[in-house]
Amino acid sequence: MSTGHRHDHAGDGHADHDHDHKAAPMVEEITDYEVLEIAVRELAIEHGLFTAEDHRRFTEWAESIGPANGSRLVAKCWTDPAFKARVMKDAVKACKEIGLDWLEPTGSGTPSDYTNFIVLEDTPTLHHVIVCTLCSCYPRPILGMSPEWYRTTNYRRRLVRWPREVLAEFGLLLPPEVEVRVEDSNQKCRFMVLPVRPDGTKNWTEEQLAAIVTRDCMIGVALPSPGRTADVHPIHKARRPVQASVQHGSAAE
Amino acid sequence: MKANETTKKAAAGRFKVGDRVKVKDMPNMFYTRTQNYVRGAVGTIAACTYQDLIPEDEAFNFDGKLEQYYIVRFRQKDLWEEYPFDNDTLQTETPEHWLEPVGK
Repeated sequence: MSTGHRHDHAGDGHADHDHDHKAAPMVEEITDYEVLEIAVRELAIEHGLFTAEDHRRFTEWAESIGPANGSRLVAKCWTDPAFKARVMKDAVKACKEIGLDWLEPTGSGTPSDYTNFIVLEDTPTLHHVIVCTLCSCYPRPILGMSPEWYRTTNYRRRLVRWPREVLAEFGLLLPPEVEVRVEDSNQKCRFMVLPVRPDGTKNWTEEQLAAIVTRDCMIGVALPSPGRTADVHPIHKARRPVQASVQHGSAAE
Repeated sequence: MKANETTKKAAAGRFKVGDRVKVKDMPNMFYTRTQNYVRGAVGTIAACTYQDLIPEDEAFNFDGKLEQYYIVRFRQKDLWEEYPFDNDTLQTETPEHWLEPVGK
């Protein structure tokens, strides 16, 4: 269904529709799960479990978390071996040292995030990459919301079966002597990758180091390197773009 | 309360790091989080993670017994016969009742 042109065919019978603009809905489809979420949320508000204001603030807070804490954790591991040892022993506890409490804000973590956290340390001969084949489990308290591609069935089903091919599509080609270890976070542990500190970063400060530890490096689909400070995925233009004359199928509507 | 923090305690886990285990090939009854692609495969215990309710109970809000969870490491070649790289591995987590010991 083409969006924005529904009023042409919506059955109001007016050929001269320019004078009869009705407000078009912002969202034309809603999934069962969204309906369920709204129903449960409204019930919870009605029963006083939390207020609409609490819900709005929490949602805004949850959506504002980015991967910055993860970058800082990695940079600190690279510069402070004792801290790294504490991360390997108990990552949830060590996160408090960088000001991140996995139990915030509810005292039991965010409602949908478990608080078992394991940091996977790469070596020159071992490379980790994370996935959740069941859904989209992701260490959100430290990396924020997962990227859209991480939640696609394409990534999830192919990474476990053809990890090197999928990594190559991200531009990451690893030699056969490097062991690729896929971590399927299908239960209650959450994972992130501690990459190897790249060459050319001697005497860098923690801030400089954190700037090259991007989200993709902590998922394991990219490696940090000096000068690489953003996850840029190329946008390929369509080779045979849709022609303007067939863009809005009218007959089908 | 933390999801895995509870007043109940399960019996000590029957496996330890390094043990060889086989994932049982049980039918899917209603709900599980143990993936089909590891059923019947032999791997090695990489970590004993926590004790918690099992997904098969939790999915129906049944406050059943707690079980030890494990991260199990598999050789990719043991999961996908024609996998071309000998070194590559995959780890996934599963509660104890899905695992059985493999004789040395």
